[in-house]
Amino acid sequence: MTTTTINGRPLVLPDDPDALLIDVIRDGGLTGTKLVCGSGVCGACTVLLDGTPVVSCLLPAQAAADKSLTTIEGVGAAGLHPVQKAFMAHDALQCGFCTPGFVVEATAFHDSWRATRGAATPSREEIAAALSGHLCRCGAYEGIYRAVAEACSGRFDGIDPIAPRLEARDKVTGLARYTVDIHHDGQLEGVILRAHVAHARITGLDLAPARAIAGVAAVVPLLDDDNMVRFVGAPIAAVAAKDRRTALQAIAAINFKPEPLPAVIGLDAARRDDAPVVFEKKDRKRAGNVSEGAGGAPVSWKGNVRGPSAPFSQKAKQARSWLDEARQQRNPLLVEQTFRVSTQQHASLEPHAAVARFDGDQLIVHISTQAIHESMEKIAKRYGLPHDKVRVIADHVGGGFGSKGSVGLETIAAIELARAAKAPVRVAFDREEELSVTGYRPAAELKLSLLPSAEGRLKALSLTAQADTGAAVNSLIAGLARLIYPAEAKELVDFDVLSNLPPGAPFRGPGGPPMSFALEQAVDEAALRMKVDPIQLRKLWDPDPNRQRLYDWAAGLDVWKNRKPAASQTGRYRRGVGVATGYWLYLWQTGSSVELAIKGGRIVASCAVQDIGTGTRSVIANTVAKAFDLEPQDVEVRIGRSNLPPGPGSGGSRVTASVVPPTLLAIDKLKAEIKRTASRTPAPGSNAPWREMIAASPDIAVSARRQEDGKPPPGVRPALHEAGIMGRVFGWVLRLMTHMVVGAGVPSSVQVMEVEVDTWLGHVRVLNAYTGLAVGKLAAPTLARSQAAGAVIQGIGYALYESRETDPSSGHVLSGSMEDYRIPGIADMPKLDVHFDEAGFEHVPGGSVGIGEVATVPTSPAIANAIRDAIGVRLTEIPFRPDRLLTALKGRDAA
Amino acid sequence: MSVAVMTAKPTAKPTPEFRAGGTDLSERRRSGVSQGMLIDISATGDKTITWDADGAARIGALTTIAAIATDARIAAAYPGLAASAQGLATPQVRQVATLGGNLAQRSRCWYFRRADIDCLKKSGSTCPARSGNHLYGVAFDLGPCVAPHPSTMAAALLAYDATITTDRRSGLTIADLLGDGSISHADHTLAAGEMIKSIALPAPLQGERASYKRAISRTYAEWPLAELCARVVIAGGKFELVRLAAGGVAPVPLRLTAAEDQLSGKIANAASIAEAAKAASSGAKPLPMTTYKLDLLQGLVRDVLERLSD
Repeated sequence: MTTTTINGRPLVLPDDPDALLIDVIRDGGLTGTKLVCGSGVCGACTVLLDGTPVVSCLLPAQAAADKSLTTIEGVGAAGLHPVQKAFMAHDALQCGFCTPGFVVEATAFHDSWRATRGAATPSREEIAAALSGHLCRCGAYEGIYRAVAEACSGRFDGIDPIAPRLEARDKVTGLARYTVDIHHDGQLEGVILRAHVAHARITGLDLAPARAIAGVAAVVPLLDDDNMVRFVGAPIAAVAAKDRRTALQAIAAINFKPEPLPAVIGLDAARRDDAPVVFEKKDRKRAGNVSEGAGGAPVSWKGNVRGPSAPFSQKAKQARSWLDEARQQRNPLLVEQTFRVSTQQHASLEPHAAVARFDGDQLIVHISTQAIHESMEKIAKRYGLPHDKVRVIADHVGGGFGSKGSVGLETIAAIELARAAKAPVRVAFDREEELSVTGYRPAAELKLSLLPSAEGRLKALSLTAQADTGAAVNSLIAGLARLIYPAEAKELVDFDVLSNLPPGAPFRGPGGPPMSFALEQAVDEAALRMKVDPIQLRKLWDPDPNRQRLYDWAAGLDVWKNRKPAASQTGRYRRGVGVATGYWLYLWQTGSSVELAIKGGRIVASCAVQDIGTGTRSVIANTVAKAFDLEPQDVEVRIGRSNLPPGPGSGGSRVTASVVPPTLLAIDKLKAEIKRTASRTPAPGSNAPWREMIAASPDIAVSARRQEDGKPPPGVRPALHEAGIMGRVFGWVLRLMTHMVVGAGVPSSVQVMEVEVDTWLGHVRVLNAYTGLAVGKLAAPTLARSQAAGAVIQGIGYALYESRETDPSSGHVLSGSMEDYRIPGIADMPKLDVHFDEAGFEHVPGGSVGIGEVATVPTSPAIANAIRDAIGVRLTEIPFRPDRLLTALKGRDAA
Repeated sequence: MSVAVMTAKPTAKPTPEFRAGGTDLSERRRSGVSQGMLIDISATGDKTITWDADGAARIGALTTIAAIATDARIAAAYPGLAASAQGLATPQVRQVATLGGNLAQRSRCWYFRRADIDCLKKSGSTCPARSGNHLYGVAFDLGPCVAPHPSTMAAALLAYDATITTDRRSGLTIADLLGDGSISHADHTLAAGEMIKSIALPAPLQGERASYKRAISRTYAEWPLAELCARVVIAGGKFELVRLAAGGVAPVPLRLTAAEDQLSGKIANAASIAEAAKAASSGAKPLPMTTYKLDLLQGLVRDVLERLSD
């Protein structure tokens, strides 16, 4: 028998030579250590082995024999470590799923740094090298740099930190429990049998051999009623067993016969006339949906090509004719280019996961979800249950980015298995499932023509987007170009090109980044040809009042004023500066409700909303605290439960604008109620009258629903109004179908990026990023900055590194590990300057709108424009990997 | 095991595998690619670095990469080896991964590492990467399998003329250990059950310098698109010795002998280096998706040699 010591306590290690340390740690109830990549890349599972950081996902359990282990739970056991305090104070975390690994590594770095270097401050480079074995998908790197530097310098010794994020302490100590951490007595592990061919009819499905295996409690079919699989990884059945190994044995025992059908993989193959068809006419309703709330209008659909969909075109024929004419006349101002964007995976660090349990006739489901209330409604509908018999819970959610917005297969499988097994069941996807079948931002080919008029205005624009949507429809990319840069005529056409790949899904500003990638490069190119400053051209072409102010800010940046033309540069490294603009819709959700109560002398705010790392708890706490002259920590915020007053989903950047206004209404009501029920008034001259009255108040409760906005000032209107009557129709449909309202005023972002290109090794580094944002007043300023920083680094990933790779004939996703799907690391984070322009949304109660999506829209074209500025050639396909840079440079040198 | 494995054909005859640090093997066990017997050698192996009187080092096979990366005497005598060790994987992996394990690790090809796809290394009859997606494949197409050899340390050891001792053989060069690139079923020439015991490096030459660089897309923690370990002796402003060992571009680490020959006796300056760098792709046979690796190789030769001739 071998033993180890874990956080000072002895632990017996299993004899199984294949047992890995992470499983031993987590099975022992220490769930602060997270399993993410399973291949040693992301560092979320980092623990200290005799004081040295190691990845427990690869370490054999036996390697810990007779050694001493420290997990995140052990790090702060005797009081918070300075690193933990610094992480809290600097908001060096968002969803928190990577945080335990970062903290464990950073404490080891801190302790050895302090031992040898005293209170010196480590450089960014030293911190980046030390933390290079960790990945954060939310992009909390900026705060992490500051936290580690200041902890090492001794700034946090002995002090009690004030955390701008309400749940920060739970996240830096590993106590925050995510869906994957939930463990009920008698809980079973569920695993899904998936197709390994891209297109087949499944016959002869026989679940009996799996049921016969000892330890298997339930086996359920998951095939759709047409018995078809249309992509590698399509679900066939699911098993619940006493442990994962048994469940995997059981799915291997399931018999079935796939009758293979011809398959087609990817955009180029799928749009050929002779391509095998993914969905026959009768099956089209089975296709997935890649947009948030879009769709509904009938669209033509031939073979695998669904479209043209062009509701937002404006005088399309006129646009075509002007562009033809310009082509014939070889108008030098006519910009024509085909752009390509690649498939971007959400890569949330917490996988899609659900734990389902029946308690009598009550169904309780923990889900890693972006939509607690809506999930409850959908589950109730699907299983014919009353709303109060379904409870959805998500205390903490380890990232979503759009991929966890609807009731997914993990939830359905967990519920059905739990019902069949009469026991709690957890289904948590492995990394390969997460990086292949949980959705993605579709790749697209974007053909763009842009024509300035002789007077220098924008005359005509044509954008046609063909999106590589896999087994899904509803891409809206080109249409979004209607809502910015008014022109005399626009032809905006979207196509879905379906193939036997997993379905795409909404991803942070669906359609926004690809549209912006094409359009913002074209505007940049037009400025070059017109020999005008790119920011000034945007000022001229884009009348939006929010962006007008941001353009002035950008034009005043030293980095912009001092940029050097590419032609003046020689040598290996070239620097360039680029600008780009982005916008997103201001959305809020009708019916969003908040309850404010006083319970036991303390304010409690409740809403069935979730915090996916964006800071919902803090937004509510700040709003309430400010009104009552309290500290946010004085407010108890209850979210993450579907039995609370209905709240919005975390999608469309709608949470803040949905929950702050009803919170303000409830505050007024609560104040009146406190005064009405008060047995005595506060002491005269009290400097904390509300605090005293709340402490003395009987238990009371009030609630409020999201009210309509006030009247916006003249010229401030919803983004959709740019699209005329079709825009208004779209808005009505959105409100009717999804309870989302497009409010007046346009959340906007202007970004300036400075890059350095290594012309020998094709490497691009973003040196400095400047992001200007107009999203109204900041409900939680530090957290808003974290969101802005995270959006930029995700945009850098999109521009430079991230690409799903597939096998062109079998349809396997090859980039199913985090070694091969490359998200940015801490060293890839540029220095960042965030500028918030807080005007423009005074008609919104509270004045705040969402930030998550708009902040990532312009990053990739700003980088593209900066590269063009640095090397004098325009790259049209992202990611800008070394192979593409070198090809472009060779082309330039040959020309 | 991953979900993907459930439909995979079991490998023909699972062969037993040694486990040192486990940083490669654990992932293949989880994915189901490795299903044979497991022989853990972590507790018993040699973890020492010893030096003989003339300054030559002998490194026990179970010495960790971190130990090599941080050993002051290694850094002084074999700076290219130390820099290679500092550049690979992540800090946490380097703490556990061993030199022997780094040499004997299996391919990182994304087809090989999926349990539900057959390939030449898994009893299959064709290389799916050759006809499929080989973005990270070889640019020197020397054999049926198109995956580059994953060992960064092997390239460094090749530059240093290191020799390997196993429990059965001694004096193996890197070429003896890893083959000529034509082996497709394995990543080395070790017989079943043969174990690497130690690695010997000759004493450094008078005045030699060395460096290492890997070309990747991010800043850290990526398998190399291409990498180069170079040693030089410069006397009187001229290259007396140039050793260029490249990784990430061929089924085995490669000496870039054409470029080496061209530089021998030449003045150590940017112009002669840039000219010779063009010869780095001598003998290359890139695949449709890997031509860029030859440009990278040229850039690496310039990068590393310019730094060494400063």
